[in-house]
Amino acid sequence: MTHTKTTILAALMSATALSAAYAADPIKIGVVTPLSGTYAGIGQQVKWGLELATKEVNASGGIMGRQVELTFEDEEANPSVAVQKADKLFQVGKVDFLTGTVNSGSTLAVGQVAERAGKLIATTVSFADSITGDKCSPNVFRVNARAGQQSAALAVWLSKEKPKAQVFYLGPDYEMGRSTVAAFKSSAEKVGANSTGEVFAPLDSKDYTQYFGQLRAAKPQVLYTSVAGNDTVRLFTQLQEFGLLNNLTVVGASGTVTAQNLGAIGKAAEGFVTGVGYSAEIDTPENKKFVAAFKAANKIDPDLYGADSYGLIYAYKAAVEKAKSTDTDKVRAAFKDLKWMTPQGEKTLRGADHQAAQTMYVVRVTGGKFKIVGQVNGSDAIGPDACTKF
Amino acid sequence: MSAAIEYFQFVLAPQMLIGLVLGVAVILVALGLTIIFGLLDVINMSHGEFYALGAFIALALAAVGLPFWLLLMLVPLLMLPVGYIVERGLIQRVFHSGERHVTTLLLTFGLGLVLEDVFRLVFGPNPYKPETPIVGGVEALGIFIPSYRLFLILVGAAIIAGVALVVYKTRLGAMVRAAAYDRNMAASLGVPVQHVYAGAFAFGVALAGLAGVLLAPLYSVFPTMGRDFILMAFTVVIVGGMGSIAGVVVAGLVLTQVQAIVSLYISPVWSDPIVFGIMVIMLMVRPQGLFGRLGHG
Repeated sequence: MTHTKTTILAALMSATALSAAYAADPIKIGVVTPLSGTYAGIGQQVKWGLELATKEVNASGGIMGRQVELTFEDEEANPSVAVQKADKLFQVGKVDFLTGTVNSGSTLAVGQVAERAGKLIATTVSFADSITGDKCSPNVFRVNARAGQQSAALAVWLSKEKPKAQVFYLGPDYEMGRSTVAAFKSSAEKVGANSTGEVFAPLDSKDYTQYFGQLRAAKPQVLYTSVAGNDTVRLFTQLQEFGLLNNLTVVGASGTVTAQNLGAIGKAAEGFVTGVGYSAEIDTPENKKFVAAFKAANKIDPDLYGADSYGLIYAYKAAVEKAKSTDTDKVRAAFKDLKWMTPQGEKTLRGADHQAAQTMYVVRVTGGKFKIVGQVNGSDAIGPDACTKF
Repeated sequence: MSAAIEYFQFVLAPQMLIGLVLGVAVILVALGLTIIFGLLDVINMSHGEFYALGAFIALALAAVGLPFWLLLMLVPLLMLPVGYIVERGLIQRVFHSGERHVTTLLLTFGLGLVLEDVFRLVFGPNPYKPETPIVGGVEALGIFIPSYRLFLILVGAAIIAGVALVVYKTRLGAMVRAAAYDRNMAASLGVPVQHVYAGAFAFGVALAGLAGVLLAPLYSVFPTMGRDFILMAFTVVIVGGMGSIAGVVVAGLVLTQVQAIVSLYISPVWSDPIVFGIMVIMLMVRPQGLFGRLGHG
């Protein structure tokens, strides 16, 4: 018995000695992100953003003299796959930190894995307010803007451009559609807009014209919509066909009109306004440098996912250097109210709910491109802390 | 009283007109389906993908500069050999087994999945929006309708009348109906049954392709577009009486009007369950549908 104890003690001591001896081991960051399937395009931007920042950090000496090493796993935008891959990276890959989840369900599920493993994760993509709200976790951080920040920015713009507007809401009839409409409705009503009606259409509706009767009867000045993908193409072109786009300002969720469907919508998308956390058009030296480097490496402009993932590596670097360690508790404390520079300017990671505050942008489709038409301070857009778990 | 007139003019009438456009669209897709079912006794699960194929062929040909009006003629002609080959090369191989309904249903279902993936590989997952061939709109009595939708109603009516004329008033149509009623008797009287079968399948597929060309400017073109109309088209075929052309027209118009008017008063999410509910009741009360099968009087 004593013999066994001695062996364990010796093993422990040699382990400590080993880790001390190899202080210059790389810092391992696991990335669980969709590399195949519907969200592969988003995962691609995440990968490119992380790789670019890692390359830059490593070239300038790494984090505390240690190089950064990324390990990728495909989560297929499926929470159950994400959980397995995250577990594998924590247990077998021995990663120090984990990021990359896109689907909000994956982020919530992987957050629980991180709690069990005693490690920290951050999402750079997921929008669902609950991740840093009622389902917050001491081990989960979010460096991108959540849905509430996007709708708050849009509402501030709306109150300036169309004070006391009559607003009609049209959303797809499922969780995302109902929550985005509810969020924007409450932001818009707070700044003085009137709601004239709402309709929820089934996902994949082929013909939106059957709702135009209600829309016309409500006589709105502004239409808010959160449909996405092919549904946006149909809604917008049918609105145009019926001449309803004249004298109507269409605003919406940041996923409503994207590079993926903008081409098909064509002219009907002109004038569409949304609130986002990033645009490649941001006119600052930091962003221009970032866009140039990103384009040189990947032959394509970064989008919000690429930019927020890029910024995360610098947040982690700042936190580890402040904590002088990769230890979970010390890094968590260092993340608290951390300020760091990103392509879209300085971000602050709010300690109370682990949500980053950042300047929010309002963009409008002009000539087939997203042009910035306004911005809202980070502190005005972030909204109250709804996290009660820590 | 004037409030009632105003309500009719500004709410009900436009809604019914919109329903009429949708009705014509559904009938165009369902026509081919009912002919194939009525004659061959085959439930063509890939019908939606043939509708998509028509739209994609039109998209590709429009990209090389062919005008829409030419495509309206050309695409159905190109679809004819496709349908003929599918019938002779695939469907006939499983047609004579005892489990005909199951084997042909599975075969066409599989074919639909393959076609959908081929569209994805060739054209990518993103949607395309063809230019609307007629822009602008017409306003009469305060009711606005985009010109292209009005055109669709007129052309759709002409196509439906033309198909009915061919099936009920020509010698070719008589041969088709004879083969549907009793294939052995028709064959012994010199009707080339094999070719009539393949030809009728090809005709149904060409109609689906034509619907694809006509509806693409309204509903845009993407790999899974075939799923859009297929449930509604099947419902129309079942309620109208499998294989009946008159049945498809009546059921198509009635069901889409029900959908249009119902979605004014209750959440539009319920308009599909209501239509499918009518189908279920029809199957329980009158399983043969409103009208009888093709060739069965």
